[in-house]
Amino acid sequence: MLSRSLKIGIVCPYGWDTPGGVQNHVRDLAEYLIAAGHNVSVLAPVIDESKIPTYVTSAGKPIAIPYNGAVARVLFGPIAFARVRQWIAQGDFDILHLHEPAIPSISLLACWAADGPMVGTFHAAAKRQKAIFAIGPILEPVIEKLSARIAVSEAARETLTEHLETDAVVIPNGIYADRYRDGVAQEKWQGNTLGFIGRFEEPRKGLSVLVDALPIISRFAPDVRIFIAGPGEADEVIKSIDPQLRSRFTFLGRISEQDKADFLASISLYIAPNTGGESFGIILAEALAGGATVVASDIPAFDSLLDHGRYGELFQSESSTDLAKRVIDLLRDEKRRVELGKAGKTHAQQFDWKVVADQIFSIYEMSLVGGEKVRLTSESRSWSKFLGRESKGDD
Amino acid sequence: MKTFIFLAVLLLVFIWYLTFSATRLDRLHHRVETSWANLDSLLQRRAAIALEIARSEIADPASAMLLTAAAYQAREAVIEKRSVAESGLSGALGLLLADGQSSARPAEASLLRELSELTDKIRIAIALHVDAVTRTQLVRNKFIFRTFRLAGTAPLPVTYEFESDVL
Repeated sequence: MLSRSLKIGIVCPYGWDTPGGVQNHVRDLAEYLIAAGHNVSVLAPVIDESKIPTYVTSAGKPIAIPYNGAVARVLFGPIAFARVRQWIAQGDFDILHLHEPAIPSISLLACWAADGPMVGTFHAAAKRQKAIFAIGPILEPVIEKLSARIAVSEAARETLTEHLETDAVVIPNGIYADRYRDGVAQEKWQGNTLGFIGRFEEPRKGLSVLVDALPIISRFAPDVRIFIAGPGEADEVIKSIDPQLRSRFTFLGRISEQDKADFLASISLYIAPNTGGESFGIILAEALAGGATVVASDIPAFDSLLDHGRYGELFQSESSTDLAKRVIDLLRDEKRRVELGKAGKTHAQQFDWKVVADQIFSIYEMSLVGGEKVRLTSESRSWSKFLGRESKGDD
Repeated sequence: MKTFIFLAVLLLVFIWYLTFSATRLDRLHHRVETSWANLDSLLQRRAAIALEIARSEIADPASAMLLTAAAYQAREAVIEKRSVAESGLSGALGLLLADGQSSARPAEASLLRELSELTDKIRIAIALHVDAVTRTQLVRNKFIFRTFRLAGTAPLPVTYEFESDVL
């Protein structure tokens, strides 16, 4: 399927060395394509240039701005724009793959500066925002240069059609499903245990919903324990927990991939109480691939990932009582719990990189039909000449 | 003097906007051509596979006849009638595959697998093409593009009708 070797340029809008779903997606995709024999270069904002892999080119230090309910580390400005143009001019790419070209960062700049086969992937799912309608007329001529648009979920696609009146092909985020397939159940995590993985300090990850549900759950399942994995300061969260129940919480910190596989194979239920801001739910897909039975909030991304509850239990978002009820029901019904876990594991195979990267690559092939290469736009070239900034080889 | 400079600047900006818009439209036309070329080549391949299926063991004489006729019609249709002809081919293939799947032998099975892979691609190609066409039509309909005839002599892209009924 991955027939001929291509020169692929990928632009990541967020700081490469800060944690985040888009960054992980770009890294995994780039590494998968390199392993398949392609020549890949990633352009990203970078904080510490000494610690980046060889295929990444730094576009400069990211700037932190509040965006979509979190702090986004993006990059723009004349110097960044010059670097983007230089990267495009020197890269001699067959195709550009721009991630999140609708947010103010280097993907948008690259889309503005380049001409030729370009594919854009839209990750974010956001509610209707007036601001986006205001900047729509500016974005439109830029976004419509993309020969194909990919949305990572139905929610992301709806956001795109609503805000920019353009359609997209849905290709889910990728996971390495086989990394989580063969986890060994560890006794220390077994029993009536609930698992949670993620940056638990962020309110939108919804850990507080789970904390509030615990008093009810522990009344019906006295031996219930909760394991929380992920980076962050646990002290603040522990203070918010009823002192009598504090002993039931264990914070594991950041865990390795191998531990994650074992963790997912051991716990009784994986809880995803996210209250929003989630477009696809990569961690949920990984939990399914690891064979965990999942209880997730019914936000649009999770609802479609779990196919309206076929591959995991859904509870009313932000409702601790509903969460508690579903958890208790599943802990009591061993048969149903095991069945859900099995169904979910099979379902998760379609998110494996083997499947996903093939789909992305066939979009590349479709955009390449014209047979041209990526180059700087003529406007951009004449401006560079005018300003005497035409890049001549290395600087 | 001041008003003169102001007007000159305004005129310059306007001229820049016109060339910018013309480039934008040109790019859109180009996108339509590319997406159509892509869709066309996939559809041609599908017609070829349909002919092969018609000649294989899967098809009984009657459906072979139907399939061959549909494939030829799809290949020869002019662009305006293309989607109708292709829908006809989809229908013919659908009729055959609805009950022919069980008796497939290895050779035929690989033919059918190729067809289903192709169908997935065609579905995406149609989505890409439809998006390019609607976008172009939308932009061409804007006041400034119509008034200054920025489209020049380029023909208005043809909407491709069938979207979801590919098998």
